Amino acid sequence: MELLGIFRDVESAAGAVERLVREGFTEAQITSLTSSPYPDGVLVKTDQRSWFRWFTLACGFAGAGAGFLLAAGTAWLYPVRTGDKPIIAFYPTGIVTYELTMLFFLVGTIVGMFLEMRLPPRGKRLYAPEISEGCIGIGITIHAGGEAVACGEGLKPGECVGGIAVLPADEQKRRAEEIMKEAGALRMVTEATL
Amino acid sequence: MSEISDQTGRTIPTGPTSSTTKSATQLNDELLSSLRTPTWKWYGLALFLGAVVAWGLAAFSYQMYTDMSVTGLDRPVMWGVYIVNFVFWIGLSHSGTMVSAILRLCQANWRRPILRAAETMTVFTVAVGGLFPLIHLGRNWVFFYLIPYPNQRGLWPNFRSALLWDATAIFTYIIGSSLFLYLGMLPDLAVARDRASGWRLKLYTVLAMGWRGTAREWVVFQKASTLMAALIIPVAVSVHSIVAWDFAVTVIPGWHSTIFPPYFVIGAIHSGVAAVITLMIIIRKAFHLEEYLTPLHFDNMGKLQLVIALLWSYAYFVEVQTTWYAHEPIEWEVYGFMAHKYTFILLLMLVGNAILPIICLCFKRLRRSIPVMLVITLLINVGMFIERFLIIVPSLSHKNMPFVWGTYRPTWVEISVTAGAFAGFALMYTLFAKTFPMVATTDVREYETQKRLVPVGRTRLPSLAGKE
Amino acid sequence: MEKMTSPYRWGMVVDLDRCTGCGACVVACQAENNVGICGKREIAEGRDMHWLRIERFWVGEYPNVRVRFLPVLCQHCHDAPCEPVCPVYASYHNPEGLNGQVYNRCVGTRYCGNNCPYAVRVFNFYSHEWPKPLDNQLSPDITVRPRGVMEKCTFCIQRIRRAREDAEGEGRKIRDGEVQPACAQTCPTEALVFGNLADPRSRAARLSRSPRGFRLLEHLGTHPSITYLKGGGREHV
Repeated sequence: MELLGIFRDVESAAGAVERLVREGFTEAQITSLTSSPYPDGVLVKTDQRSWFRWFTLACGFAGAGAGFLLAAGTAWLYPVRTGDKPIIAFYPTGIVTYELTMLFFLVGTIVGMFLEMRLPPRGKRLYAPEISEGCIGIGITIHAGGEAVACGEGLKPGECVGGIAVLPADEQKRRAEEIMKEAGALRMVTEATL
Repeated sequence: MSEISDQTGRTIPTGPTSSTTKSATQLNDELLSSLRTPTWKWYGLALFLGAVVAWGLAAFSYQMYTDMSVTGLDRPVMWGVYIVNFVFWIGLSHSGTMVSAILRLCQANWRRPILRAAETMTVFTVAVGGLFPLIHLGRNWVFFYLIPYPNQRGLWPNFRSALLWDATAIFTYIIGSSLFLYLGMLPDLAVARDRASGWRLKLYTVLAMGWRGTAREWVVFQKASTLMAALIIPVAVSVHSIVAWDFAVTVIPGWHSTIFPPYFVIGAIHSGVAAVITLMIIIRKAFHLEEYLTPLHFDNMGKLQLVIALLWSYAYFVEVQTTWYAHEPIEWEVYGFMAHKYTFILLLMLVGNAILPIICLCFKRLRRSIPVMLVITLLINVGMFIERFLIIVPSLSHKNMPFVWGTYRPTWVEISVTAGAFAGFALMYTLFAKTFPMVATTDVREYETQKRLVPVGRTRLPSLAGKE
Repeated sequence: MEKMTSPYRWGMVVDLDRCTGCGACVVACQAENNVGICGKREIAEGRDMHWLRIERFWVGEYPNVRVRFLPVLCQHCHDAPCEPVCPVYASYHNPEGLNGQVYNRCVGTRYCGNNCPYAVRVFNFYSHEWPKPLDNQLSPDITVRPRGVMEKCTFCIQRIRRAREDAEGEGRKIRDGEVQPACAQTCPTEALVFGNLADPRSRAARLSRSPRGFRLLEHLGTHPSITYLKGGGREHV
């Protein structure tokens, strides 16, 4: 279950986040929706690590292999002599390998980025077009309710849930909504539109 | 607090307005102004450009229908204006992406309003340039022989040929620079999506890929932007090096030169930076972006252009002086022929590419004068077109066997195709500007947010919040 | 990968001391190889199709002027600059040392023509026609090249093929002098001698070892198959 509050400015949005955290929601549950980037910590604190560059690297290796096979492998399959050059010529193979490596790097970066962002999404998600006009959206993912797991060493940020998780989901949602309204939310979005 | 309504009639509250900062909506309105409904002037321009493109296509069809004798080519000058165009357009493509990538990596904040114009230029100039090797083929209708795919002809392209390196590099570059352009545009597309209706809404919705701008999306996006910028630079360098190798790997006097790859890369950046400045001037005027493209931007770009002009002059000097000193008879014959037969355009090239920019761009007042910058940058590109002509044609005219020396003069067909290429580029650019955000809106807004005024003591100073 | 070896390495010797510049070789080549017919205009434009040309140079000051002739045809280089630049393998090297040209593959980049230092490659700028009854003279052994492709001297490969088939039928190798390109066959002064350079006793091989021998643009390292002979105490003739 998700909830999105729309705020007029950074200050009120940041205030809402502050209160939500105090209430027992964790940073991992809260995200901000903005149309221009803000430094980490201005609104929410989010995980700065990413894995997509490893994907890029893997694509680069695949590209090097593809380039080598394209230049050297096919020359070997079709051995035609030209200009007394060896069938598998050193420089041309190097050049073609380089270009395909870079191509796979570039494509891999974009594909990896979208994979990590999980875009395009499968279903509809909460959004409001005001965000493009400078409003700030504060989204919160409500925990299904159950045992609270305290954040500690060895736990990923997504795995721990705050004390509020012991409450039923509806109650959590009500409280979150109340907090955001108090903090100055213009409206709440509960229906997925995007 | 001001409020405005969007197309659906919903009231949208806008951010805090004050006399010093503009609200996000105002910024969006101004920066996305190119997306407004076209005026009759725009239709007139598009129609004119379309007519020139049609004329160029007609000339090309005529060449394809008759034969290559409609060009000015002969033996020994078998490459002419088409290949000059190829090198010229690929050269132009260089700065777009490269300048944008370098400035992104250097975190130069003044880059923000010009990013998109530069990156778009790259994509379209590569597209135009990539067509010329096909236009110049004797049998264009079998161009697919050059593509490596399994076929019943039992024929595979020869990767030992520099033309295949070209094809590979240009393919990589056009994909890479299109992705780079798209990546930079992703958040802007989301903004455009939220303000659009009708077919535009559908288009932007698909292209924006469901971007919402979550904190996590921004983190990944910024890392990807930096990585793409770092990756695209070595590709750009390799592309023009390979174009230079088309000439340098031959045994033709005047072409077989080790300095060609770096010299071509410098020349490419020279013409590319000039083209970016020219386009900045045009876009500034056309979309009323005077507030975002200020003399400061032209000053900074002018400094960059000055550095490149000096580098280009240095490379040209080195190339000529080594030949002069060695005085190898055939090579020197080529230079002598060039200086004798093409004296005027040679001098025009030296003035346009080196003397004029180096003298003028030393002065801050001239760098900040937009008419002066327009003249200088246009002349640089005239000079760079001549430079490619003078590299290709004289060397072929006076090759090793004096019995088959010849000359070359382009015909109306070649000139029409060239004109069609220029109009085609302008047309694609104009259509793009009407369809997609032409200024990096979110980038500019990010900077506007960052440099907000904060009270310090008795005054208000611009703060720069951001990563170190 | 099959091993590319052959008992033949075709080559030619051009004795410049014997050449009278009569041009019979040029005509023979044109007749043998279905070379396009060019008129005044094509030649003035530099678009003539001659696979073999006689270069004519004037030496000395008037009135002591001498004329010198240099027949130039494809040199069938072993390190041919035209071959690796072709993106579609239209120009390639065959095991018999010939610099092959596959017309059907050619897409017309003209890169080979630019990179040939001898400028012996000719491009079909025009769609050449053989008006009746000239079309009766077309050889059925050779393709008629369409416009937009590059062509050049093949050492009359159709004759070499036929001789090889005859020889293979009889279970022997091609004898020296059994095969001759049209130009060599026609030369009245026997200035052009064609043969198998891999056989050290062939006439061409023996002549190519002459101290009068040199190769065109030797400094470029193209290793041509054609040796020119000049000198022998008759430089001024």
